Amino acid sequence: MNDYCRQSAASQQLANCSSCSLVSPIELEKCPRCQTQLHLRKPLNLQLTMAYLITALLLYIPANLWPMMVTEKLGQVEYNTIVGGIIVLWQEGSEPIAIVVFIASVLVPIIKFIILFMLCFSVYFSGLLCPAKRLKLYRLTELIGRWSMVDIFVVAILVALIQLDHLLNVQPGSGTIAFAGVVVLTMIAAKSFDPRVLWDDFDRKCDR
Amino acid sequence: MFSEQVIACHHCDLLMAPPHVKEGECALCPRCKHKITRLHHSNINQLLSYAVTGLILLFVTTQFNLMTFNLGGNVSQIDLWQSAINMYFDDYKILAVLVLFFIFILPALILILIVAFILSIKTGIGCWAQTSMLRLTFVMMPWAMVEVFLVGILVSLVKLVTIAQMDLGWSFWAYAVFCFCYAKVLTLVDRYQFWHWIDEAHR
Ligand SMILES: [Zn+2]
Ligand SMILES: [Zn+2]
Repeated sequence: MNDYCRQSAASQQLANCSSCSLVSPIELEKCPRCQTQLHLRKPLNLQLTMAYLITALLLYIPANLWPMMVTEKLGQVEYNTIVGGIIVLWQEGSEPIAIVVFIASVLVPIIKFIILFMLCFSVYFSGLLCPAKRLKLYRLTELIGRWSMVDIFVVAILVALIQLDHLLNVQPGSGTIAFAGVVVLTMIAAKSFDPRVLWDDFDRKCDR
Repeated sequence: MFSEQVIACHHCDLLMAPPHVKEGECALCPRCKHKITRLHHSNINQLLSYAVTGLILLFVTTQFNLMTFNLGGNVSQIDLWQSAINMYFDDYKILAVLVLFFIFILPALILILIVAFILSIKTGIGCWAQTSMLRLTFVMMPWAMVEVFLVGILVSLVKLVTIAQMDLGWSFWAYAVFCFCYAKVLTLVDRYQFWHWIDEAHR
């Protein structure tokens, strides 16, 4: 995995500073402009991405099983998980909101898991898709990742707003912490992935 | 100070000559279409005005109500802080801190740093801090979730409209306009150009 494609900076032993984009020889170790540590590729990027992803995947289980929101209505206590909450919304007739919440808190995390795992595997077993397509998928994960937080914000607002004692009150459930963990960890996973490794086998695979 | 003979793309590591873009043009990586830079000469003043406006609006947001909830005479109101603080007292301290960071503290810090950076470029005061200010700004940027929170407000509003009478407060409108200013700031922020300003300032 140490050979880089011909037109890349890394093949000339030049490192692109991750902070200020100054290209300088890797022997300098620190960027002369901003003192950031120089690397040809983010160190351990695949291992770290995989580690964060697997942690997030494990957290995703309690995030779906534990309640996100505990509602007390006239003395009756109701526990809502992510999926449960979406079903309730759908039955109450607010389909558009149900769809928004479904996309943000179910579809987006799953898409992120699939894409990031696929990208990591595509580097190990090179040549699943051509680099340009894989990069597009990577950009998609970066773009959509943050939107999963919508559900957490909704819970935060409802908890703050609805406090009418036993008539109606909302408490956060333990699932919120797990779910926030999933969002943050998948975001870190996407950040620690280095899209440049997708192009390292460019000469062999796509340049026919 | 650092004349660049070559630059490289952050997304595909392609080596290339530094782009010569005219006013308003956008330079893309020829291989992966990653945006390298977009040049605007009016950038620095526009950026400054949007960032300052954003900061003022963010301050306004803390002063009024976000929304009012009225269920048959039972009225409750929240402001921006409360959306996080109630969770804090419900033993969800991590979550409260996280939410507050995402929706308020990080965006505020980012705007403050950008304003400080631009002022320092313009006046030449505090040159030594410029690089660290920029590095810090770019580290924080992906974690500010202003627009996501705005959608969160709207979702919870629609959720509650069926059971109670909901009213949006001044803070909501301030936050919505702040969100616009913040988005404008994000589109105007250009790493490539920022570091060029630093180079010019140190020259
Ligand atoms: Zn640098
Ligand atoms: Zn590129």
